[in-house]
Amino acid sequence: MTFELALRATEILLALALIQQSVEHVFGGGPARRLFAVRLLLALALLSGVYSAWSLALLSLHSLAVLHRFQGPYNGGSDRMGLLILYCICLTHWLPAGLLSEVAFGYLAVQVVLSYFMSGQVKIVNADWRSGQALADVFAFSAYPVSESLRGLAARKQTVLAASWSVMLFEVLFPLALLNQAILIGALGVAAAFHLANACLFGLNRFLWFWIASYPSILWLQARLMQGA
Amino acid sequence: MLKTLSSVLPVLMPSWRFFRTIEPSPRVEYVIIGADGVTEDWRQAFPRPAAVSARQIIGRLFWNPAWNDALFVVSCAERIAEQPTQHSINEITQRIRQLPQIQGAEKGRFRLTFVSREGDEFSREVVYISEEFALRP
Repeated sequence: MTFELALRATEILLALALIQQSVEHVFGGGPARRLFAVRLLLALALLSGVYSAWSLALLSLHSLAVLHRFQGPYNGGSDRMGLLILYCICLTHWLPAGLLSEVAFGYLAVQVVLSYFMSGQVKIVNADWRSGQALADVFAFSAYPVSESLRGLAARKQTVLAASWSVMLFEVLFPLALLNQAILIGALGVAAAFHLANACLFGLNRFLWFWIASYPSILWLQARLMQGA
Repeated sequence: MLKTLSSVLPVLMPSWRFFRTIEPSPRVEYVIIGADGVTEDWRQAFPRPAAVSARQIIGRLFWNPAWNDALFVVSCAERIAEQPTQHSINEITQRIRQLPQIQGAEKGRFRLTFVSREGDEFSREVVYISEEFALRP
């Protein structure tokens, strides 16, 4: 994937994720409707591809107002990923073309890889995760399961244990996917399915859209690294 | 503004330690205080449904404002447990005022109960009780 194609794909996917988020605020009866109406307009401008650098700069400035309004991210990790993508591709546009610009975009890719590896690493050193107890606790009493009926999954010990190890191994081994493009595409498919499952079980729909928006940067970085090698 | 800018740093250098440990989980509960000062029982403010259909689950991939706002309330509850701030207290208070079941009531309070596992049992600990507040803004 070329640098230009990956950057534009990231812009489009980020714009769509921001539009989805903003529409929820503006039409969902939630707080800060006017604030997100502005984000909606800026995201539509980004989607159009006209003056992308300025749209990104304004979205970045606007993000400070959103952070101020909620005294931090509104939805934790998903908002952080959305902002990381935004800031990185904004820098990519505004830094001089060439190495600096590629470093800004590559930093996004590295962080996405780390988002999987670090999440897996902190789990696999935890005895509760290795025994399946931690995931059982997520279902049993955390705030995340979208319905009371899902809490029953906590009692299915073998299923929970298998799911725990599947998640941990996938996350810690994810960086190895950078070694081969076909494996990377497969790994990103599995990762998207993982986020889809989280969206279905825990209602984390914004994670799905923001993480997918970051994938073109990894595809570009993998090609760039192989080209360099 | 300094606090806002300090929120940018974890965005640029995230730790990505999702679910490192499963911390005690907050439940927001409210109570209505009658004109005579008598309080009703504490009730959960934002209970989750008993079940969600496959169609609803698919739909929520694209349209999930209520759940995302409920997750923000969880963040506010965790912030209050760590260090109460008027911002987080106000955010929860405003949402309780909008609950259809409290319409017509005059005053109330909310409390934060944290659920955790101790051995094979679940325990509940009340970590914060709000001041009395008007339910009609």
